[in-house]
Amino acid sequence: MASVSLQHIKKIYDNKVVAVQDFNLEIADKEFVVFVGPSGCGKSTTLRMIAGLEDISEGTLKIGDRVVNDVEPKDRDIAMVFQNYALYPHITVYENLAFSLRIRRIKQEEVHRRVVQAAHILGIEEYLDRKPRALSGGQRQRVAIGRAIVREPAVFLIAEPLSHLDAKLRNQMRAEIILLRRRLDTTFVYVTHDQTEAMTLGDRIVIMKDGFIQQVGTPQEVFEKPVNLFVAGFIGSPQMNIFNADLIKEQQGRYTVVVQDLRLPIDADKCALMADRGVGSQAVKLGVRPEHAQIHFDNAPDTLEGTLAVNEMMGSEYHLHVITKDEQTIILRTPTVDLSEKQRASLKAGNKLRFSFPSKVIQLFDPKSEQSLLYS
Amino acid sequence: MANKQQIPEVETYIDHEAGIIREVKQPKLHSKKGRERRANRAIYITLTIISIIWLAPFVFLVLQSFRSYLTEDGGMVNYLIPKAFSLDNYRYLFEDGQYLKWYSNTLIIALFCSVLQTGMVLSVSYALSRMRFKGRRLFMNIILILGMFPGFLTMIALYFLLKQFGLTQEGAIPGLILIYVASSGMGYYISKGFFDTIPKSLDESARIDGATRFYVFRRIIMPLSKPIVIYTIMMGFMAPWGDYVFASYVAFGKSDSYNVAVGLYRWVNTMDFQGYFTRFCAGGVLVAIPITILFFMLQRYYVEGVTGGAVKG
Repeated sequence: MASVSLQHIKKIYDNKVVAVQDFNLEIADKEFVVFVGPSGCGKSTTLRMIAGLEDISEGTLKIGDRVVNDVEPKDRDIAMVFQNYALYPHITVYENLAFSLRIRRIKQEEVHRRVVQAAHILGIEEYLDRKPRALSGGQRQRVAIGRAIVREPAVFLIAEPLSHLDAKLRNQMRAEIILLRRRLDTTFVYVTHDQTEAMTLGDRIVIMKDGFIQQVGTPQEVFEKPVNLFVAGFIGSPQMNIFNADLIKEQQGRYTVVVQDLRLPIDADKCALMADRGVGSQAVKLGVRPEHAQIHFDNAPDTLEGTLAVNEMMGSEYHLHVITKDEQTIILRTPTVDLSEKQRASLKAGNKLRFSFPSKVIQLFDPKSEQSLLYS
Repeated sequence: MANKQQIPEVETYIDHEAGIIREVKQPKLHSKKGRERRANRAIYITLTIISIIWLAPFVFLVLQSFRSYLTEDGGMVNYLIPKAFSLDNYRYLFEDGQYLKWYSNTLIIALFCSVLQTGMVLSVSYALSRMRFKGRRLFMNIILILGMFPGFLTMIALYFLLKQFGLTQEGAIPGLILIYVASSGMGYYISKGFFDTIPKSLDESARIDGATRFYVFRRIIMPLSKPIVIYTIMMGFMAPWGDYVFASYVAFGKSDSYNVAVGLYRWVNTMDFQGYFTRFCAGGVLVAIPITILFFMLQRYYVEGVTGGAVKG
């Protein structure tokens, strides 16, 4: 168990490619931190730097109170689970689990005790004398995690462990990782490109892009208060809808936003946020999550109009792809149970559709800097 | 049959990504079958002819080796099958000390070479496959270019070098081992290609687990590379086993230092050609035996080794 501290960490590869830029993060003891971002954002490189598999070009890395920049991976008291499992194919599961303990010349009884215990935690006791190739993807994944467990490390590093599994198994393993984390109660650093995984697993999420940290926060924070357009688009599925709009500053620190035909007075706390930052009247990007939009089947005033292009039936809800008046495609989510038969029937491709959204759910971004006008 | 043509058998599979069921297009069966059969027949005929051409000299050699040099004729004759089956030639080889000396010379050289060379080649390959150091590319390119020149270009220079150290004639055996092993690291290509196919994350994982480079090499890479290790051992054994060029000039004039190839050739070349021919043949058969046994035993690995390395060269 240990905290991890990354101060001004930078990674420049031999070919001058800068993979990670000025990375600052304090990971508390027993915290579960998830690095998430699109491929090439530097999340895996950062993890590998913590593991000691990549040299750190600049900055200071501490595990516990110790600076470990130049410490060999084996002496960092970490364990890593690799994306492709990295199981040794020529030895049995038992030997795979015991591998690191044998190198450390730990007594046979102790090795056996730890291997059996890890196998018990992960439910792989019956496969101990098999070779890795005789296991399914999920079982291999468990062995890979087991190999890290037997080490009893201070920091657990996990790189995209679920990306090779099918959707059903992925959900199951995700739940198991949550349980495992509760059981092991140590520091976790987890890398994924899947925002769902990040949201469900992390105490805190680090969203990265092009080597820069975009935002660090709890799942709730990054979902509700994205600091820029990238974070807003990356977290949440389907993506947040973005409209071109105009922000108008009125008397007494009130603001109104105009989207096409819709005039939307902004609620007080958001106005206060913007007033504090001295935001004036300007063009803005307005973001609304698909699930926050409301569909109107009557000709209600103060609504937007669009044409339904595609209606995806997801079971419990519809995903409606709508083309707005200014030729943008947006997605609206609406639960199926609330709709009558007639309403459902009217949701046909080509039909006109009216929708609106309350002002308390909207996000506002500067179109040039792409930064949020509300949060930072 | 007519029915089958109208309703072609359709195999289907579920395309999970698109969420639909797709058909696997089936080629028409019978016309292909016929064509295949004709093609196979041509291939087998060609292969049979080639194997006859290949085997003929060997069969010839074996038959000659059973013709007695004492009672029949020890030289070249105009018939193939000996009139009487005899082991006189082999008896001579075992009773005459010279041949056994040559044979043991060759064996010593080949064994030493295969052990040392395997160590060299695998170490070089591992380093080039796994480690990143300055000049790695350059090093590999230089070796590639050097490898394009035939080895015996260095013959004269090497001879004088060896002579300085007393490694010719009497010292020919260590001298030859030195020559064969010295440049063997250049043959790293195939095994490096094989190592490249083993995921690097295995090394990384082992290193986090506390393994040293050598431990990774010995405990993970080696067991996973069995075919290529065996291939390397075999190549290390076979090259000096059958070498004539280097062996003949390094040992020149000292018959106790000859290897079999040189010694046997001396028999038919400088000594009595007509008298020694059948014994030469018998010697040749004995030379072929260990190699043949080795090959049959390790054939499976040999093929895996060659093709395995070729996946990612």
